[in-house]
Amino acid sequence: MATHALTVDDATYQEVRDQRLLGFLFFLISDVIIFSSFIYGYIYLRSTVMAWPPPGIEPAALYMAGVNSIVLFGSGATMHYAMEFFKHGDRRKFVGYMIATIILGLGFLGGQAFEYFNLLHAGTSWPSSIYGAAFFTLTGLHGFHVFIGVIFLITVLIQAQRGTYTQQRYFGLTAGALYWHFVDVIWVALFSLLYVWK
Amino acid sequence: MQAAVGTAHVTHGHIHPPPDTFIKKYIFSQDHKVIAVQYFITSGLFFVLAGLLAEMMRAQLASANNTLLSPTTYNEAYSVHGSAMVWLVIIPILTGAFGNLIMPLQIGARDVAFPWLNMFSFWLFPPAGILLFGSFIWGAPEAGWTEYPPISLEQSFGTSMWCMAIFLIGVSSTITGLNFLVTIIKMRAPGMTWTRMPLFVWATAVTAFLSFIATANLSAALLGLLIERTFGVPFYDPAKGGSPVLWQHIFWFYSHPAVYIMILPAFGIVSEILPTFCRRPIFGYKAIAYSSVAIGLLSFAVWAHHMFTSGLAPWVQLPFMILTMIVGIPTGVKIFSWVATLWGGNIRLTTPMYFVLGFLSTFTFGGITGIMLASVPADVHEHATYFVVAHLHYVLFGGSVFGIFAGLYYWWPKMTGRMLDETLGKIHFWLMFVSFNATFLPMHWIGLEGMPRRVSTYDPQYQDTNLFISISAFVLGASMLVFAYNAIKSTISGREAGQNPWGARTLEWMIPSPPPYYNFDDIPVVLSGPYDYGKPLPYREIKADLSYKPIV
Ligand code: HEM
Ligand SMILES: [Cu+2]
Repeated sequence: MATHALTVDDATYQEVRDQRLLGFLFFLISDVIIFSSFIYGYIYLRSTVMAWPPPGIEPAALYMAGVNSIVLFGSGATMHYAMEFFKHGDRRKFVGYMIATIILGLGFLGGQAFEYFNLLHAGTSWPSSIYGAAFFTLTGLHGFHVFIGVIFLITVLIQAQRGTYTQQRYFGLTAGALYWHFVDVIWVALFSLLYVWK
Repeated sequence: MQAAVGTAHVTHGHIHPPPDTFIKKYIFSQDHKVIAVQYFITSGLFFVLAGLLAEMMRAQLASANNTLLSPTTYNEAYSVHGSAMVWLVIIPILTGAFGNLIMPLQIGARDVAFPWLNMFSFWLFPPAGILLFGSFIWGAPEAGWTEYPPISLEQSFGTSMWCMAIFLIGVSSTITGLNFLVTIIKMRAPGMTWTRMPLFVWATAVTAFLSFIATANLSAALLGLLIERTFGVPFYDPAKGGSPVLWQHIFWFYSHPAVYIMILPAFGIVSEILPTFCRRPIFGYKAIAYSSVAIGLLSFAVWAHHMFTSGLAPWVQLPFMILTMIVGIPTGVKIFSWVATLWGGNIRLTTPMYFVLGFLSTFTFGGITGIMLASVPADVHEHATYFVVAHLHYVLFGGSVFGIFAGLYYWWPKMTGRMLDETLGKIHFWLMFVSFNATFLPMHWIGLEGMPRRVSTYDPQYQDTNLFISISAFVLGASMLVFAYNAIKSTISGREAGQNPWGARTLEWMIPSPPPYYNFDDIPVVLSGPYDYGKPLPYREIKADLSYKPIV
């Protein structure tokens, strides 16, 4: 099954898939630019003040975000394995790793909610200062992407269970995985910028 | 699935039968040609509304201390006029309408890469227009089309509607951009190498690239403004620690490339029309193609020339001034190539050609005043005077709008199957050309004499010139009626165009007018470039009668 000669249909499929992949890639690039604009804004605003965070504003804690990052990067790894198992035709493990990825993604969102709760409790809110504005906008935008990603992966999983994808044709799965890794990579930048940069 | 469909030209895996219901055929259509017409009609309507606002402003400015419009209404009028002209007229017509109508035909494709997305991005556009013009109900934005904070933070709810409107346009523009770019990269007919592509396709490719790269910045800036206005989150408000200059950076990082989104397709139109009516190969094909790419890339490096008076350090200003002047070089390359094409050409003075010649003279003039504004010392003096208003209308009206009309007269037969009337076309041209110059040329001198822009009353010393400008502006507005009459009359009863009325050599003229559903029955094979007059046509396998045969 896996290595039969390409029929016209397969050639057609590949062409369409290549078009869609390119389109999806361009979409991700434009999304990177949206993040870049906000990151530029963050650096710009931060460079206009003497102290960061401004006096009296409680900053976000590094250790909590660190734990959360490990959760997110872990989900990147499980996503990678899910993809590999799918390609090798191991449906059972594929489903397992997909579920793990989704749970880790939800875990990240939960961690972020907890972090927000703590910050709000300490008086650092979205409109409180440019620190709050920059912090909540960037992490919120990312969190929103994670949320969309979780829905994306759930949809992919349901599609896979319905037999939409075959071992040769799984564009939706590829797109979901790409998107998930993209969200991961963006987080590396945000994490270093928002938590590590003192 | 037939092999012919599978080789290089699928639109989305398989070909659907043509839609049979009215709604699917004309309202929620996924056919690039129908979507193009939808764009033409919608943005034509917005052009009328934005033009009426301009006429209202000129009525107010006809005498020095007029009270026809209150200062507030005047502010609202120019803000909505500018925003609408840029985002609801020029950009959608050049990319959405012309790009959709012509580009797939010229590369020998059956449709764009993502027809559904194409429909989706059109349908973001009418709501955006309704939001923008509807903002008058709550008090329209008053800070010009650039809506600089902190002023834009204090305005009424209409400004939030402006944010949402432009955000929708931004999303639409981004989607169209990536759709077109994938189409051009992946769906060219066999043999259509990059250096055999028509120049309009080159221009559309660069524009598409700019649309989806630059526009994302605009979306980010607008999102910030909307959040700040709605939730009081400080990004731009200096009183709360934000920075209004941040808005300017991100906004102009979009809007400078955007001025090329508004002119490159017009360059492409001109490059198609010139060789057709000079009956000779275009001079410097590669120079024209690659200079578009150069302009596209450079356009990202010059945004701060809009900010010379916002307190940038002099060492920052200098490189921006020099880079801006460098953009003049690839633009100059194009102008010389066009003039060289005219030189010794066997020129046929049709209406499209009239508009091209009008374009060449007015755009070049606007380009020269642009170089003047790029020079920091001059800009500091001319900034915020009518000199800038004159410059921007020479580029946007004298450039983009003349280019649009050139393209309309040229491709109308392809779109409707009928010719526009040449005599009416020439009357339209002369009325428009003379009144355009009479309107905007005098603005240069009242600007240099110091008349500020964005004011509803002015010092009586400028009275006579302003009256002259206003009268000319009314004639300019009236000249559009000639076109409207021509368009309606010719579409109903114009001369039948046939396949290739101008004797042009690009692919869209090798199939019937209007083209059938899915454009090409057999995908053409391209053998050489599109402008070699005197040589045989460079295509194989084009069957002209494309009666529909269902391929599932
Ligand atoms: C009948 C034709 C037109 C007339 C009489 C006209 C007139 C005007 C006037 C009086 C202003 C306000 C100047 C000021 O007080 O600062 C203005 C601004 C502007 N116009 Fe036009 N215009 C016309 C067509 C166009 C076209 C075709 C465009 C194409 C893009 C355009 C784009 C703009 C822009 C971007 C502004 C700046 C608005 C701002 O200050 O924020 N106009 N125009
Ligand atoms: Cu600029």
